[in-house]
Amino acid sequence: MAFLSELIGQTVWDARGERVGRCADILIVHPDQPFPTVRALALEDGEGAGQFIPAEQIGWLGPNILLKVSRSHLKPFTPQGNELWLVRQILDRQIVDTEGRRVVRVNDLLLTRTNEHFCLAGVDVGGLGLLRRLGIQKPALTLFSILRQKPPELIIPWEDVAPLQAQEPIRLRISRDKIGRIHPSDIADIIADLDRRTGQALIESLDDEVAADTIEEIPPQMQVDVISRLEPERAADILEEMGPDEAADLLGDLPAHASQKLLELMEDEDAEDVRRLLAYPEDSAGGIMTTEFTTLPEGLTVAEALEYLRQSEEAQEDEALHYIYVVDEGGHLKGVISLRDLVLSPPEATLTERMTTRLITVGPLTPQQEIARLIAKYNLLAVPVVDEAGVLQGIVTVDDAIDAILPTAWKKRLPRFFYV
Amino acid sequence: MTLKERLLHVGRRLFLYLSILGPGLITASADNDAPGIATYSMAGSHYGYGFLWVILAVTFGEMVVQEMAARMGAVTGKGLADLIRERFGVRVVFFAMVCLLIANLGTTTAEIAGIAASAELLGLSRYIAVPIAAIFIFVVVTRGTYQRVEKVLLALCLYSVAYIGSAFLSRPPWGEVLRQTVVPNFHLETHYIVALLATVGTTITPWGCVYLQASVAEKGINSKDYHYTRLDVISGAIFGNIVSAFIIICTAATLFIHGIQVETAEQAAVALAPLAGQWAQLLFSLGLLGASLLAASVLPLSTAYAICEAFGWERGINTEFREAPLFYSLYAGMLILGGIVVLLPGIQLFPLMWLSQTLNAILLPVILVLMLRLANDRGLMGRWVNSRPTNALAWVTTVLIALVTVVLFVLQM
Repeated sequence: MAFLSELIGQTVWDARGERVGRCADILIVHPDQPFPTVRALALEDGEGAGQFIPAEQIGWLGPNILLKVSRSHLKPFTPQGNELWLVRQILDRQIVDTEGRRVVRVNDLLLTRTNEHFCLAGVDVGGLGLLRRLGIQKPALTLFSILRQKPPELIIPWEDVAPLQAQEPIRLRISRDKIGRIHPSDIADIIADLDRRTGQALIESLDDEVAADTIEEIPPQMQVDVISRLEPERAADILEEMGPDEAADLLGDLPAHASQKLLELMEDEDAEDVRRLLAYPEDSAGGIMTTEFTTLPEGLTVAEALEYLRQSEEAQEDEALHYIYVVDEGGHLKGVISLRDLVLSPPEATLTERMTTRLITVGPLTPQQEIARLIAKYNLLAVPVVDEAGVLQGIVTVDDAIDAILPTAWKKRLPRFFYV
Repeated sequence: MTLKERLLHVGRRLFLYLSILGPGLITASADNDAPGIATYSMAGSHYGYGFLWVILAVTFGEMVVQEMAARMGAVTGKGLADLIRERFGVRVVFFAMVCLLIANLGTTTAEIAGIAASAELLGLSRYIAVPIAAIFIFVVVTRGTYQRVEKVLLALCLYSVAYIGSAFLSRPPWGEVLRQTVVPNFHLETHYIVALLATVGTTITPWGCVYLQASVAEKGINSKDYHYTRLDVISGAIFGNIVSAFIIICTAATLFIHGIQVETAEQAAVALAPLAGQWAQLLFSLGLLGASLLAASVLPLSTAYAICEAFGWERGINTEFREAPLFYSLYAGMLILGGIVVLLPGIQLFPLMWLSQTLNAILLPVILVLMLRLANDRGLMGRWVNSRPTNALAWVTTVLIALVTVVLFVLQM
């Protein structure tokens, strides 16, 4: 085991004890694996047979670096372009700790030896690594032992790390797999910790669905930034994956020509929903409602209704599915039944006798405050929005209504004005 | 193009400019902080209008340096501490950050002293004013959103108008003012060089560069919109230095001609009353309060961010204390420590301010050299690397600052 900081600048000796040069960098391959293999050493310019020494010829990689062969037998090595340079590309950079779901800085790298290879094992992000880099590890350790404190050691296994750097496509490919498995809310936090460019690159590396969920979680101003920097086609694909209400909010914040263009690029059906929502004022029911809700036709039995839902595309797309709305052929809202009541009802009962007909509804222009009040008063999870003719237009879910009562600053991450 | 179209076009451009306006103006205004006002008052009362040419020269230096910082922020989207760590490694960034911390701690104390002094001039005890101000800063900064915080800071920039007002109230001879602005004069004596260095040191500051680059990056300005930011930085520098010039004019027209020499901003404010009237004194004090509040908000937080970012510690005003203990300790620590020092009875603030100014002056050439190397790195900046004229001007500024620093140390030995 050796730390990168202990190897850099060390003299490289050949098998006969002659000086070959100084180690300047270490190249690894397969960074997507738990233990990427060391491929070669890069030497500082100056004396020495070649600028690189292939890993096969390294005999010992400790504080001293010894080669297996003599200088004259060194094999030439040329980087293939798929290597990761540890000093140049990883040391001191930001990476994502996918286990802790946060952005950290690389203080040092831990190298180790398996049966036949040297490989990268972990990333030192702790204070001890920092002290080692500053060259005061020993006195600091003494001090810690005098104070009977544990030194701040924190090494993350390479497996739990996603390196990122926008200009290196090779590294984003790895982060995509690892980061894609993190919850979108956590990815949103990670993005807020990154500089704008890296955050953008990270979003671009996610697939449409994860990207959409992530964008829904970041503050509105950042959403606008992210979307306007994406390729329009990509942005449209991501918007299609977002909830229509979230997509409409975002498009509403964009300049008119930009949102128009994105709407044209979106699938007709999704664009239609969003256009309708965009027409309403931001703080009205129409502005915060979603068009993702599930309806049932009148006159079914409970068994038929459940079967209908299994086939229903609406139900598939409805993320919450707390309530099911019963409508007639003209789309007029007739009643509502919660999924719980539906499932617990006897199969032969009719929907009409089980559903609630004393409806709490709001109009498209009802203010957000009023909806929040109704939802709180009647303990609802969502309230339907109907137009003057009684046709169901959408629903406002409790989380969107609550935004009116809780200041957004408390809920969402504060933009970091003083960020450095 | 019809007239209406042309007006619309101009209107749109103006709107875009106003929406991007911010970081440059705030930084330049925060540069005229309590130590800054003290320096200009001192310069004005000791050397009259003879210091105005320095302000003119420093304006160009400030433009070049801050434009560079803003450009790096826009192009890379990263802060200065970030770039230094990634490009030069731990040791360099450690040295820079320790200097930055100590220098900024001193400067923050000076700002809080400015708050205390101006509050007492306005008739409020410092034992009430300082805790209130500290809580105000903490609340505004930790509870605000980007837009709101920026609005509060921009409003605080209005303090500057107070100085322009009090300068006019003091009726200076404008022809003489203009002549001395364009004709340089120089004295090779310690006190003059101290004043010169202090003027450069309060105008072009390491924390100013760090803060400006960070807020440009944070505002999400990209290289496409960068020309508006450059306009903001340049107009901010001009505006900030016009204010500096007016402080000098104000003190020169009243104190210098009567042979009254002051060392601090509050002395200057008190001395203004019998010579230029109560209004001038009131305006001067209000200006000092606004400037101190602005800088005391900006300094501790930008320092805490820079340091935590450089070392990869948890940070951010949205986190809990136990998630980011170092960040909060740094931020609150600077405010509290500064406050306590100011409230200690019988404390001499002058040596402290002198220490922080000196550290700033030592740190400045180091930061400038690092910035120049970064701004010329094609791998980092692409086609946005420094142009030849920028490099020439920036190097001249850096060498001159380093030279003046050395001369000062030699003279004091």
